[in-house]
Amino acid sequence: MDQAGGTATATGDVPTVEGFGADDLLDLHRRMVRIRIFETEAGRLMESGLLPGFLHLYVGQEAVAAGAMATLTDADQITSTHRGHGHAVAKGAKFRPMFAELFGRVDGYCHGRGGSMHINDLSIGMLGANGIVGAGLPIAVGAAFASWYRNDGGIAMTFFGDGASNIGAFHEAANMAAVLKLPVVFVCENNGYAEFTPQAKHMLLTDVADRAASYGMPSEVCDGMDAIAVRQACQRAVDRARAGEGPTLVEAKTYRYYDHQGVKGLRRPYRTEEEVEAWKKRDAIELLEARAAADGVADADAFARIWEETWADSADAIAFAQASPQPDPSTVTRNVYSD
Amino acid sequence: MAVRELTYVKAYNEALQQVMREDENVFVVGEDVAGYGGVFRMYDGLLEEFGDRRMIDTPISEMAIVGLGVGAASRGLRPVVDIMFMDFLAVCLDQVVNQAAKMKFMFGGEVRVPMVVTVASGAGLSAGAQHSQSLEAWLAHTPGLKVAMPSSAYDAKGLMVTAVRDDNPVIMMLNKKLLGAKGDVPEEPYAIPFGEAATLREGTDVTVVALGRMAVEAVAAAEQLAGEGISVEVIDPRTVQPLDTETIVASARKTNRIVVVHEAVTFGGLGAEISAQIQETAFDYLDAPVMRVGAPFSPVPFSPVLENTYVPDRATIADGCRRILKRS
Amino acid sequence: MAQEVLLPKLGLTMEEGTIVEWVAKAGDVVKSGDVLLVIGTDKVDAEVEAEGDGRFEPVVAAGTSHPPGALIAWLLQGDEQPPDHPSEAKVIAQAAPAAGDVGELQLTGPAARAEVGAAAPGGRLLASPNAKRIAAEQGIDLRALRGSGPGGRIVSEDVEEALASAPAGPAVAASAEAVPSGGVASPLVRRHAAALGVDLSRVSGSGLGGRIRRADVAAAAGAAAEIPAAVPAAAGPKAGTVIPMTGMRAAIARNMHASLQEMAQLTHGYEAEVGALLALRDHLKREWAGTGLRVPTINDFVVRAAAHALLEHPVLNATVRDDGIHLLEEVHVGVAVAIPDGLVVPVIRDADRRGLVDIAEQTQELAATARAGKLTLTQLEGATFVVTALGSYGVDFFTPVVNPGNTGILGVGRIRDGVRWEGEVPHRTSVLTLSLSFDHRAVDGAPAAEFLRTVSGLLARPHLLLAG
Repeated sequence: MDQAGGTATATGDVPTVEGFGADDLLDLHRRMVRIRIFETEAGRLMESGLLPGFLHLYVGQEAVAAGAMATLTDADQITSTHRGHGHAVAKGAKFRPMFAELFGRVDGYCHGRGGSMHINDLSIGMLGANGIVGAGLPIAVGAAFASWYRNDGGIAMTFFGDGASNIGAFHEAANMAAVLKLPVVFVCENNGYAEFTPQAKHMLLTDVADRAASYGMPSEVCDGMDAIAVRQACQRAVDRARAGEGPTLVEAKTYRYYDHQGVKGLRRPYRTEEEVEAWKKRDAIELLEARAAADGVADADAFARIWEETWADSADAIAFAQASPQPDPSTVTRNVYSD
Repeated sequence: MAVRELTYVKAYNEALQQVMREDENVFVVGEDVAGYGGVFRMYDGLLEEFGDRRMIDTPISEMAIVGLGVGAASRGLRPVVDIMFMDFLAVCLDQVVNQAAKMKFMFGGEVRVPMVVTVASGAGLSAGAQHSQSLEAWLAHTPGLKVAMPSSAYDAKGLMVTAVRDDNPVIMMLNKKLLGAKGDVPEEPYAIPFGEAATLREGTDVTVVALGRMAVEAVAAAEQLAGEGISVEVIDPRTVQPLDTETIVASARKTNRIVVVHEAVTFGGLGAEISAQIQETAFDYLDAPVMRVGAPFSPVPFSPVLENTYVPDRATIADGCRRILKRS
Repeated sequence: MAQEVLLPKLGLTMEEGTIVEWVAKAGDVVKSGDVLLVIGTDKVDAEVEAEGDGRFEPVVAAGTSHPPGALIAWLLQGDEQPPDHPSEAKVIAQAAPAAGDVGELQLTGPAARAEVGAAAPGGRLLASPNAKRIAAEQGIDLRALRGSGPGGRIVSEDVEEALASAPAGPAVAASAEAVPSGGVASPLVRRHAAALGVDLSRVSGSGLGGRIRRADVAAAAGAAAEIPAAVPAAAGPKAGTVIPMTGMRAAIARNMHASLQEMAQLTHGYEAEVGALLALRDHLKREWAGTGLRVPTINDFVVRAAAHALLEHPVLNATVRDDGIHLLEEVHVGVAVAIPDGLVVPVIRDADRRGLVDIAEQTQELAATARAGKLTLTQLEGATFVVTALGSYGVDFFTPVVNPGNTGILGVGRIRDGVRWEGEVPHRTSVLTLSLSFDHRAVDGAPAAEFLRTVSGLLARPHLLLAG
């Protein structure tokens, strides 16, 4: 994937496969498969004890990142969360420096200094994952400000969960963006849990999108397991931003299959197997493949090739990462300051 | 190169005006900075000159204000973020300490955060416990941040020019009791390097290292003590991160007795860091333990009688010098 | 009713007593007649008994000294508290005369006072790091000073004032390379010394910059005890005139003793033929008469010969440190000069690079300055080797003491008649004895002898010394 962004042709209200050409569908598929494989492999490596620290994995939520990034170019900025691999991959980050960073090696995106939660690639507008809940939102507002300041046509998009919608930084950033009318899109990936607490226990509203009205900001809710639906909703928000109409909040209802961190994580039950299985039945990748096949827009071979290429890419990147050198201890205080 | 008398706040304002003229990327964001010119008049006249694209008034949202600065800086702009009272940094410390200070490091060097956060600090105006603090110890302790504490109009302008041109997040600690202090300020822009202390007065009997407004008090104390036959050397570090340890230690070796004074609470204040650095490098040159003069361990009291006892001044500094020199 | 316990006056002339030991412990309930403490004076130790009943509460620490009549404890009834309850931390920090410092041996140096150096209970010397540094550099004994800083701490001003009022400066001040006695010591080492009863002013530091290390303290503790004190006047013959150990006298005593304690010193004697040398001198005296050129003395020739020989035998131009024998790159020869009541050793710097006439002029000038009592510290510092002469006193062979920090010293004896045999034919000649004392830790007997052979070889062919 050389450049993010698709043809952005669909304008209809009802998400259908018609209106999206094969290229668009394959593009969405590729983004989702790359996330799925990367995260599955990362989870496997982590729970085998091969990676230092811990990971927050995006498996299950692929449609949100894929659909959202498909509306952006490399000049548009995103900020992400602690669960940021999906956003990075969908924006176009490469597997080799991502895996190398997870292993803490010098060839990682942060040269081993940041780890999973600080993966970034400024060349493709990925301003970093973030270990502090909600901290990326004000930063994205700043990135949007820079575009407004320079009048360069770029926008910023920021991701956050239902849990983060309770933190002060969300409210401040939303209000600030609305008042200053900045070109930013707030994408809430509502997976129903704030770490281990279900949504009903941490807020009284059902839709995070309802909060946007408090700031005079428009919003919409979409199906976070349907990449096309996500893409269309985000496109509307992006178009508004580019037109100078200010921010929008898009809420995508989605689900993560793995635990809050790791795969099985802390292995203390707080969700039911039934719930997980129910969501898996609506798996976003399977959904896209089935619909594309049913409508005859793209064929199974094309999809199979994407899976195959991605598995190969992943295997190559893991080998690369494991061979990458450890950072030199004498450089421990490097890059604290810019010269 | 004309030199004329300006107030400390006007010198800051002039610095900002000049760097905004020289670099298109500099903008100011904060509460009441544009239309009102800032509650301390720091931003007077700038909206008129630079317009509302470069002077941004915001809602009361410190996290969002600093975050906006972080995001904009990471994209190559040079924000000056005004947080009014230093005490309010506590409201948005995450964006300062976890985001701005650490992004360069966490990203492996791939980003710069050339942001200035201007705050008004210090006690002595009966502003109460939540509007009077000097919190440089928190920030100097955070790798990735730089911290400047100008004590004069001349320093306010020169350090601000450097701060804006620096590619790192800088906390510019203006002292609210010094805002009206007058001093000679050259007309043209000039940059005082960070990490270079100023020796405000040379002496031989005792060294006083004084942070921020205490430098003014220390010079007054030195003048008083000169009349008593005591020769006091006064050093103003000007920035506490980076800290000019070399100048301080050289002075310690010369006078053999050191008093460190700051408005901040003594316990855990930067006097302890400076003291430790002196004894590490000049232990054999000390005739007395390094003395720290700072505020007692309590929040800043409101009543003027209490606040006067609380905040160090020229009398307490002079008294400290006499005590450290006392011989029987 | 609280009863005071006062320090008793033992004898008419007692001026102060030391609490040698508390026999009763704080809180003990005692009866009249129970022994409370042992006090010590310069004459005798005595037990002090309780003069009433009560709960015993001392108010001063063991090891402290007080005048007779001073309040030292309370006897309390029930759970009453003493009327003025002094906090424990403020127990008087007064000097305890060190064991062995008995009456007659008074250090009446420049800072002579009745009290000796500031010492907290337990004999700890209180001096600021800066004071210690300057004292070490200048060879000042801190225990001779009274501290004017807080708590009786000696501060650098006390040391500087002592220096300023010292007569003719401290003799044999530490050379730049030499390791002075009484060097800088860290708090840990001071504690160690106090625990072992070691007087730090008598310890040579082998650490960086003359710092005293634990090993030095341990070695000193294992070595012989302090300078034997004069026998107390109570026993033995009555003393007449007392010559006080002034600054210079005390310093000489200290340095000579330290040198012999520290090194493995011995002396080689060697007869050097000086007939040719005398002849050359006579020749020069005639030639240079009226020119103003100074004719070098025998000693000057020896100094030059020694300086040359040191280049060939560097282990005699060295200093012994903990990590090894440091061969010094520069040659500075000290020349001992007798002055009234003492001895000073001014230094000819870079003696190896000076011509004979230059050396002669230097020695004359330095000797004159020495006798006028006007030598500066710089002129007294830095000797790497010393030449000392007793020939004018008629001495042939003697055992000079190596200057602390050096590895050798060359003594020059008197010129006398000698005989040189050629076959069965005796020839009259002139000889003198060279006495080389050396530190066997660094220099073995054979190398020492080689050095002497070189020196005497040069003296036998004095024209070689005249050149260059």
